[in-house]
Amino acid sequence: MDRVQTGIKGLDEMLSGGFLPQTANLVEGAPGTGKSTLGMQFIYNGITQFDEPGLIITFEEFPQQYYHDAAEFGWDFGKLEKEGQLKVIMTSPEVTRLDVESVGGMIETAAAEMGARRVLVDSITQFERLTQDPVELRSLEYGFINGLKREGLTSLLTRESAALLGEAPERDSSIAFVVDSYLLLRYVEIESTIRKAVLVLKTRGSDHAKDIRQFEITDQGIEVRSKFEGREGIMSGNPRRMADSFVEAFVKR
Amino acid sequence: MVANGDDFTTRLMNDMDPALLDFVKAKVNSFIKWDLVRFFYENPHTADTVENIAKYAGRNAAAVKPELEEMAESGVMEKRDVEGIQIYSLAENEHIRELVDRFILACEDRHFRVKAVYHIIRGMR
Repeated sequence: MDRVQTGIKGLDEMLSGGFLPQTANLVEGAPGTGKSTLGMQFIYNGITQFDEPGLIITFEEFPQQYYHDAAEFGWDFGKLEKEGQLKVIMTSPEVTRLDVESVGGMIETAAAEMGARRVLVDSITQFERLTQDPVELRSLEYGFINGLKREGLTSLLTRESAALLGEAPERDSSIAFVVDSYLLLRYVEIESTIRKAVLVLKTRGSDHAKDIRQFEITDQGIEVRSKFEGREGIMSGNPRRMADSFVEAFVKR
Repeated sequence: MVANGDDFTTRLMNDMDPALLDFVKAKVNSFIKWDLVRFFYENPHTADTVENIAKYAGRNAAAVKPELEEMAESGVMEKRDVEGIQIYSLAENEHIRELVDRFILACEDRHFRVKAVYHIIRGMR
């Protein structure tokens, strides 16, 4: 089956080769975990490695911030925009929703003119300001995602998580049910050092790695490394050594 | 005949690229418009409502609305209706985009900025 490779070292392997084409893929994480970096890298690699032009739709961060952040990794977004391979669009969820629904809207036109195949939506969390009603929110998100799929786009949607470490508080958003794949980025504290972990929670219609892997943001972007060996409770944010858990469970009783 | 001070100042201040002088006098004739032009130069694919653009620019929507309207009339901005909501974006017109680029780059020069400020203040009288 065809895959839309992220081109991110280690991540495509976790995704059994990449995302499925024309799917919506959610990346959730706390501030600073690397959601936007992962999204920018998905778009940049798409253009430069796989000849797939891309769009970035931002609801809060100014495009000039993306140009700046991308330049830190050596990615020249300004040049790609001039070449017509990238467009960083700043707008609001209310406008985007109406735009995707309308014929000849800005996203439809941009996708058609550029031949865009990928889109980063940063962040889908902003859709939550459109309504307080969870049923209506799910319907809005579902319609928006289907509009992106209709345009032939494989989308990466970022979502903010309030929890820096440990369990995130529950909130009324069903976006995780609507998307085709769901990746979680987390901070993990190990021996007084904060590390970052990535986990693929679901990929609809495809297999995926079940282990929790370390990743780092290097000067060339995200690199996914090996899994956390000999530790458990990674997603709690405070993992323990397996041996400690064994002692706790069996020896101390 | 010796020119009076006002004539001299006017001549000095008019010593600008004619296209940019016309751009300042006819299209960027207020400080809010100047802010907006800079914002759209830095974020060229922004498309949003008056209220959101005002937020991005850190201004009051009531103050931004008439300026955006005038910029749409003068061709700097484009306005379109999406299901009853007015959306503003920088005009796709290559000539306008080129003028915007030239204006912002020229603003890096202090002398040009002083002249542009002079014309804006004169236009507001």
